[in-house]
Amino acid sequence: MRELTYAEALRETLRQVMQEDPSVFMIGEDIGVYGGAFGVSAGLIDEFGPERIIDTPISEAGITGACIGAALTGMRPVGEIQFMDFITLAMEQLVLQAAKIRFMFGGKAKVPFVLRTPAGSGTGAAAQHSQSLENWFVHVPGLKVVMPSTPYDAKGLLRAAIYDDNPVIFVEHKLLYKTKGPVPEAPYEIPLGESKVVREGSDLTIVATSIMVKRSLEAADRLAQEGIQVEIIDPRTLKPLDMAPIEASVKKTGRALVVHEAVKTGGFGGEVVARIVESEAFDYLEAPVRRLAGLDIPIPYNRTLEFHTVPQVENIVDEARKLVQGGY
Amino acid sequence: MAKPVIMPKFGFTQETSVIVRWLVQPGQAVEQGDPIAEVSTDKVDMEVEAPESGILDGVRYAEGEEVPVTAIIAYIRQPDETLPPEAAAPEKPVEKATPPPPRPVFTPADAASPTRATPVAMRVAADLGVDIEQVPGSGPRGRVTRKDVETFAARASASPPAEDAPAGKVRAAPAARRLARELGVALSQVTGSGPRGRVQSADVRAAAARATTPERPPGVGESIPMAGMRKTIAGRMQQSWQQAPHITFDADIDVTALEDLRRRANANLPQGQPRVSLTALIVKACAWALQRHPRMNARLEGENILLLSEINIGVAVALEDGLIVPVVRQVDQKGARAIAADIAAAAARARAGKLRAEDMAPAGFTISNLGMFGVDRFTAIINPPEAGILAVGRARRQFVPDEHAQPVLRPIMSITLSADHRMVDGAIAARFLDDLRTALEHPDTILL
Amino acid sequence: MTSIAETPNYPTYLQEWGDAKALDLLRKMLLIRAFEEKAEALYALGRVHGTMHLSIGQEASAVGASLPLRPTDYLLNHHRGHGHCLAWFGSNVDLMMAEFLGKETGYCRGRGGSMHIANVESNNLGANGIVGGGIPIAAGVGLSIKLRKTDQVALVVFGDGATNEGAFHESLNMASIWDLPVIYYIENNQYAMSMPVKKAFNIERLSQRACAYGIPGVSIDGNDLFSVYEAVKEAAERARAGEGPTLIEALTYRWRGHSKSDRQAYRTREEVKEWQKRDPIRRFAKKLGLSDEELEALRQEAKDRIEQAVAFAEASPEPDVATIMEGVYA
Repeated sequence: MRELTYAEALRETLRQVMQEDPSVFMIGEDIGVYGGAFGVSAGLIDEFGPERIIDTPISEAGITGACIGAALTGMRPVGEIQFMDFITLAMEQLVLQAAKIRFMFGGKAKVPFVLRTPAGSGTGAAAQHSQSLENWFVHVPGLKVVMPSTPYDAKGLLRAAIYDDNPVIFVEHKLLYKTKGPVPEAPYEIPLGESKVVREGSDLTIVATSIMVKRSLEAADRLAQEGIQVEIIDPRTLKPLDMAPIEASVKKTGRALVVHEAVKTGGFGGEVVARIVESEAFDYLEAPVRRLAGLDIPIPYNRTLEFHTVPQVENIVDEARKLVQGGY
Repeated sequence: MAKPVIMPKFGFTQETSVIVRWLVQPGQAVEQGDPIAEVSTDKVDMEVEAPESGILDGVRYAEGEEVPVTAIIAYIRQPDETLPPEAAAPEKPVEKATPPPPRPVFTPADAASPTRATPVAMRVAADLGVDIEQVPGSGPRGRVTRKDVETFAARASASPPAEDAPAGKVRAAPAARRLARELGVALSQVTGSGPRGRVQSADVRAAAARATTPERPPGVGESIPMAGMRKTIAGRMQQSWQQAPHITFDADIDVTALEDLRRRANANLPQGQPRVSLTALIVKACAWALQRHPRMNARLEGENILLLSEINIGVAVALEDGLIVPVVRQVDQKGARAIAADIAAAAARARAGKLRAEDMAPAGFTISNLGMFGVDRFTAIINPPEAGILAVGRARRQFVPDEHAQPVLRPIMSITLSADHRMVDGAIAARFLDDLRTALEHPDTILL
Repeated sequence: MTSIAETPNYPTYLQEWGDAKALDLLRKMLLIRAFEEKAEALYALGRVHGTMHLSIGQEASAVGASLPLRPTDYLLNHHRGHGHCLAWFGSNVDLMMAEFLGKETGYCRGRGGSMHIANVESNNLGANGIVGGGIPIAAGVGLSIKLRKTDQVALVVFGDGATNEGAFHESLNMASIWDLPVIYYIENNQYAMSMPVKKAFNIERLSQRACAYGIPGVSIDGNDLFSVYEAVKEAAERARAGEGPTLIEALTYRWRGHSKSDRQAYRTREEVKEWQKRDPIRRFAKKLGLSDEELEALRQEAKDRIEQAVAFAEASPEPDVATIMEGVYA
């Protein structure tokens, strides 16, 4: 099967969907002529024109409001917030309007749009351009949150997000854009709200999101040489979260580790741990459920410091080994 | 009709208002919208307005009184109107809710002098109920720190340090707890192999396994459960020994002729045929004797002695870990070679665990030959519900007197007959044994 | 604040409309007034939960703004918008009252309340509890209209305070660069909550802000139904012709405090009384040539209709707690 980069896979869905469905358009900063800050929409304006690939002024609240208004009146916009950090400028529209309109109107309206946004650190962009804020939105009823980890998942999940009738925050890790993987040419959808067992194992369950899936796989290969078999589960959709495979896995392995880039305190890991402990899997735990996540600091500029701020492969290997060998 | 003036609700959670000041006296005229009273809510002071133009009357609350929201506080009537009857009814003022008792505030004056203990230490001491005057200080100039207070409190209550589990609690993983429940293992009896002595499920499994095997005294080795054949033999032998009153009879048999017969039987043996053993000849002899003493070829069934119409004789075969008794059928109708072949085949089948139904045909008598193991003589236990069993020892060279009273060396074989006295009396058994001796010492007797 | 002259063109409009329609408009204004007064009374009796933001005194603005528009156009409204909701096409005062009382039969099944009343199927895209919250959404509606190539327009109503939210700037800018068919309608009732317009702005007229976006801006007497009608009509024609957005400032006054817990320490009784003398309903009735008795009769009709609505609402069931999780996701 041919391989595409994560960015190319996203672009392919955007192209395929916009070809099929005239109600879909893109709106955001520098997505048209520039092709998007990370190149995701490169070339699309040539195919679909400036009417459907809409470049905006620097107005995150405006972009988000535009998506809401268009979604309320029959369209399916795909908005882009250039860096997830800037979503803070759109919080009112996202949290008070998009998330709540359907409920406040007694279920009689729908706001179907996707807000795509690059997130994460590792590019030296420092504190205001490197955050992973997904858990803020997991906390808001009315929103859905998706974080694909591979090109294959990205293509399928984006299509599902666009056709979902709710506001979906679609979080793309910057370091994933250039990663490659097999991607079928034909259009396909991966349903939202389905976790995936990415690797099977019997000694430890790792729940990992976004770029941590890739790092966990690398860690798992190294651990296999020591005779430790790690099972890795990628939720893919953080909200709504599919716990069933995670519960089944923890029952099997008795040990669980959640790995994500976002700051540990108040991060998504806490939600997963709580759900594991609240589930039947609790009775099968041999050790405490642990989290490996970002340090409680803004992302530093210095490359080494930046590296050590978030979990890396070595950290995952060490933590996994310690968990399996009775270190906790 | 006079229009009631109600105490309006001004805020989301407002339940009552207090009348601060009446701005209009009863009997005074007011215009619609004029403020007539100032009231205070939990947040702010508001004004109550006249809902209509008219005369204020029937004021029901005084200044300073707390009024529930939506209660009628007064009326606006027209000059020619009177107040409604309910206006005269006394109003119950709202019971003031008793304020919650004030939280005890720790003031430094209550405790040690400021230089003696840190503020944090003083607060922690208050929280833990520790008399800070008693706490030795480890800080500069003997200052009491928080750690000092905590250590003191811990020691004072004689509770173990935080790391140890609280009394009555076991440090155990959830999986271990579940397994302990399922296997009925007491967690407190399990030693944990996990960090800080935590019990893991593997520990519980190990404990459960150990529970099924109790401690052995020194010198005691492996414990073998009695199962299968062992169990069967144990049961049958015990039953036989306990229930059949065994009478035993010994005889020493001169087997010169028998051995000679054996030699001749095995000479010119056709290719492939098994050798004739002494046992086979003894079996044949027994069959002859049993014919003459049918009471010895019988089985006990309840209250009845079943005389058997066939002469089937059981031949005990030793197995690696047990014994089995295949039956040679209709011995009286077979020659010694045939009997030998049957015994050999049955023994082979027995050792291979492939005995057939006919091998287990009912018999009244069994022979057990342990002579090949160097046993001189022994007593066998009857194979229930048979009438008797013959235990055969080895043939050993002994000096015996011949017809001239001269010592001659002869092979002498000891046999011991056990008979079930419920079926067989001593005389019958003795007579049987006597005939058997004749057949064994003079085999040609069988031909007659 | 200096007042603005009402439009001299009202006789033309009266003639266009005819007596019957004109009376209907008056009835609408009276219905709105009666609704607001009843809502106020119910609240004081503790029968309405939460709070409410009354628009008594702003009826001309409410009725006049939707008058020149079509049922296929869109309305986005603010929290002081009961009047606009009632004036909009296809509105049902029973369902509005039921929503006020939090009933299942209300417009929003009791989940929205006073500040979030919407009737999406009639293109009333809702009132908004956030000052300025609907302004960026209106630009999105305008964008959608443009992409779908229809001749609809979007009317977004908000207060003077909203124009100081950053989102106002982003939305007007976007509408101006893309010529979106949006009518930005400021109901300037002189006060945000307690902040007087005088203190919050360094400009005389809020419509001056239009020049920052290169779009037309106009200030009108918001208590004159004809002036409101005229301004919105012109803006709608521009929008439908593809000429882009317009900023309208309608000067008006709210007779009551900001919300139910407003002590109104920021203005004097005299000021309120002054404005009450210029009651938009009486002004309009006068232009129609009605006597006081006729007006009173119509007022009573409106009150009766509201009583019916209250009866309907009170007889309606509460939402079933078992349905509490409904309506979050589509």
